[in-house]
Amino acid sequence: MVRDFSLFTSPGMGPTPDGDPHAAVACAHDAPSIFYSPNNTRDGRGTWVITRAKDQRRVLHDTATFSSHRSIFASALGENWPMIPLELDPPAHGVFRSLLNPLLEPKRVMVLEPAIRERAIVLIDGISAASTNCDVMKDFAFPFAVSIFLHFLGLPDERLDTFVGWGKDLLHGEGVKRTAAARTIVAFIDDLAAVRRKEPTDDFMTFVVEAKVDGRPLTDEEVRGIGVLVFVAGLDTVATAIGFDLAYLARNPKDQQLLRREPDRIGLAAEELLRAYSTVQMIRVAKKDIEFEGAPIRKGDYISCATMIANRDPAEFENPNTIDLAREDNRHTAFAYGPHRCLGSHLARREIVIGLEEWLSRIPDFRIKEDTAPITYGGHVFGIENLILDWS
Amino acid sequence: MRIIVHNDKCQGHARCWAHAPDVFKLDDEGYILAGDIEVAERDELLATRGARSCPERALEIDRAFDALLDRFLFNQACGGFNT
Ligand code: SF4
Repeated sequence: MVRDFSLFTSPGMGPTPDGDPHAAVACAHDAPSIFYSPNNTRDGRGTWVITRAKDQRRVLHDTATFSSHRSIFASALGENWPMIPLELDPPAHGVFRSLLNPLLEPKRVMVLEPAIRERAIVLIDGISAASTNCDVMKDFAFPFAVSIFLHFLGLPDERLDTFVGWGKDLLHGEGVKRTAAARTIVAFIDDLAAVRRKEPTDDFMTFVVEAKVDGRPLTDEEVRGIGVLVFVAGLDTVATAIGFDLAYLARNPKDQQLLRREPDRIGLAAEELLRAYSTVQMIRVAKKDIEFEGAPIRKGDYISCATMIANRDPAEFENPNTIDLAREDNRHTAFAYGPHRCLGSHLARREIVIGLEEWLSRIPDFRIKEDTAPITYGGHVFGIENLILDWS
Repeated sequence: MRIIVHNDKCQGHARCWAHAPDVFKLDDEGYILAGDIEVAERDELLATRGARSCPERALEIDRAFDALLDRFLFNQACGGFNT
């Protein structure tokens, strides 16, 4: 029942030039449907790994048995408070979801669309005026995704690089760096909340400090829990998705041509790319001893539901390792499943689709620049570090 | 075609709505409205795609009713139009 498998240390999980970490983890489907991996978190803890989509659904739905409160961020500081709503379990979870859902529901995200598109256009036009190649991550994906979310939080663009740096240290830095970044982010969110309390504007943080749940205002810890989650969630996930997607299109000119010819397909194609290049591992904590598919899970054990594994489950998707941009009935779970379905998923989707649309309509045929190799890595959030595209 | 809505299962992915916004209506939080949906024939393709994209399997396509109607109309043996 124990297997040498880790999203952090297995082959292809460390930074790898021209790597394909998703293909590397797809081999988990040769394994039993559940096994124990002694070293599968950043801090070296073991987790049970659930490999089948069907079983992941069971875990993620059963919030009575599997808690979402892992205090992943606070524990980096030796503290214990939840990021909200991610690390709350029902029924408290539902209260905060209802508060925040209207801010990010699909129709409201449509209202943000023109601003998102304009941001993409400005960045891409700048790139194409300057050169016939660029590092997509540094020049487009990060500034695009991060500025949208700064806009959402009500913060100016000027500190974009600082925030991206904090995010990198937090998500991919080691020990001390990570703790320092976590501390910086908490202090920043606390300050921002204090400022908005004194001088309300019409941004997200103001909404949060003025909001009420169950007829009472939020506590400082709750405000912080929400602020930190929104901050962390928006920092690198969308940028990473755009990076993996453009790398795929650079390597697969036929599909690139298809989307250029028929831009209407980009929406569906983006879903397939989300499936094939899912980036997030969800972890739950067992609230009690339970027998799961023959495995003796003990109270307090970690259970890993890696979206990148579920979304390549052959029982769920025909030819899961083939990327078929026209795939239909694509019930992928890149944004998780169950009550904790990603709150920002609709915004993320629009950013990805708009990013691809504008990139394809403004940049001619592109490929990966000769003698360069994008570096990919596994981990808690899969990533791509650099992507030099060339259209000379 | 009818779509049975298990709205207790809906978690607001809005995949159904993305395929067929005219068929699937969402509330202000982005969750599907309660109540089964009668789908007009011209919307069937998109509605089916939407229902099949639901990661929560909250939308069940009910073809039993169509099948019944078919049998009633075309199978004389089951006592349909036998004039
Ligand atoms: S696709 Fe399913 S989960 Fe999503 S909104 Fe529609 S019914 Fe709800």
